[in-house]
Amino acid sequence: MNEQISRLMDGDAGEPELARVCTACAGADAMQTWVCYHLIGDALRGSRTLAPGFARRFSALLEREPTVVAPRARLTHRLGVSWAIAATVAAVAVVGWTAVSLTDAPTTALARAREASDVHAAELRPQTVPADYLLAHQEYSPATAMQGLGPYLRAVSVPADDGQR
Amino acid sequence: MRAAIGTVSRRLAGAVFFSVAAWFIAIAPPARADDVAAWLARAASAARAQNYVGTIVYQHGGHVQTSRLAHIFDNGEEFDRLVSLDGPAREVIRSAGEVRCYYPDAKVVRVEPRTIRNVFPSLSAEQQQALAKYYDFHKAESARIAGYDAQAWVFEPKDGMRYGHKFWAENTTGLLLKARVLGEHGDVVEQFAFMDITIGGAVDRALVKPTWSSTPPDWTVREGSAGETMPQDTGWVVTRVPPGFVKIMEGYRRLRGKPDPVAHLVFSDGLVAVSVFVQPVTSAPTHVGFSQQGGVNVYSLRLDDNLVTALGEVPGSTVREIASSVTHH
Repeated sequence: MNEQISRLMDGDAGEPELARVCTACAGADAMQTWVCYHLIGDALRGSRTLAPGFARRFSALLEREPTVVAPRARLTHRLGVSWAIAATVAAVAVVGWTAVSLTDAPTTALARAREASDVHAAELRPQTVPADYLLAHQEYSPATAMQGLGPYLRAVSVPADDGQR
Repeated sequence: MRAAIGTVSRRLAGAVFFSVAAWFIAIAPPARADDVAAWLARAASAARAQNYVGTIVYQHGGHVQTSRLAHIFDNGEEFDRLVSLDGPAREVIRSAGEVRCYYPDAKVVRVEPRTIRNVFPSLSAEQQQALAKYYDFHKAESARIAGYDAQAWVFEPKDGMRYGHKFWAENTTGLLLKARVLGEHGDVVEQFAFMDITIGGAVDRALVKPTWSSTPPDWTVREGSAGETMPQDTGWVVTRVPPGFVKIMEGYRRLRGKPDPVAHLVFSDGLVAVSVFVQPVTSAPTHVGFSQQGGVNVYSLRLDDNLVTALGEVPGSTVREIASSVTHH
């Protein structure tokens, strides 16, 4: 299942695989893998991750939100609206609870994400845009013919020396 | 007789009027392949043969960079200078035989020889057909940019493998005053625009001379040697390129003082290009995966003892698809 989740995240999963992963993610194990892989991905890409406890705080804030009901709604409608809101809150609560229990729990996920970002710092630095390749490419790009030297700004916007690959 | 001529000319005028009206009324008439090619040729010819000096703003992601650009066309040769106005004073000089990039912050100068190439826009009939087939090319609004009247044109891709492009061409010369790359959802991926520009007239030669008349002794010179890019079969094959892309160059380059020459293949659909580089790697740390510089996406992967990199003005998924399909024959 882990491999299938990974393939799905890479956009390589087919229709039947997608269905299997979605079904499996109803279970805590697959869900945990899903969250974990995304954290690792975020760490590798250097994206900002949410602060610890975000899901818990979000749930608490949501609970304190007043329920807004349309002021002139007729009683029958109000009943309908209330039910809809109740259903929504219930759904959010379930999602919130799942997220809290998965992401705030201790946690292999966080540890592995941290590990991934260490690796990233050490040697798997995210691919830097190679200035020499950009320059070599620019000459053959129709953009250079149409826009003159302007597109070379891309090449000089990246550092001169990105180390030996 | 006079009356007869009058009737004929009125009829002719009527016919012309109706055909012109019909032409305008026709909703988004599909661009003919030679229309697209003629439009591209005009833009390229203006970029090459006009003299111009201006301030150009380059925007991508949250970044904005302002530079000064001067272009001279003299006796069949182009001379250019591009200088960053903010951040490190990096400079690009283009002259007859080479492109030099000065990085005063890193004390590095890169020299790229200009080689004989399939000079755009001499597009093959195949590429012209592909452009009309894979992009919906149409006229958009009139606008005023940097003090000049301009006409906007749009290349809207018909598949998800290309970016959209919008160009604003100056009315008299056809020179592009603004160029925008658009993502799948109409988001601006990157934009070049002149804030001010003077087109035509004589431009002082001093404006295209580098700040450094000779390279300072403590700088590093990274020079690609000439003659390395002569077309030849590298043995590397790209099995999946998006429809409409054709190979326009294949050869070896010596880059950045690397010990081994790097195989370089270029594919183009006539509007944008994708380069594929294959270089042997011996030591461990290898940069793989995605990166991006404005409208240029890069994807690298390791293939046995080689690093394969696809790079071009297309979405990330397209460069990945291309890099993943590289094999050796």
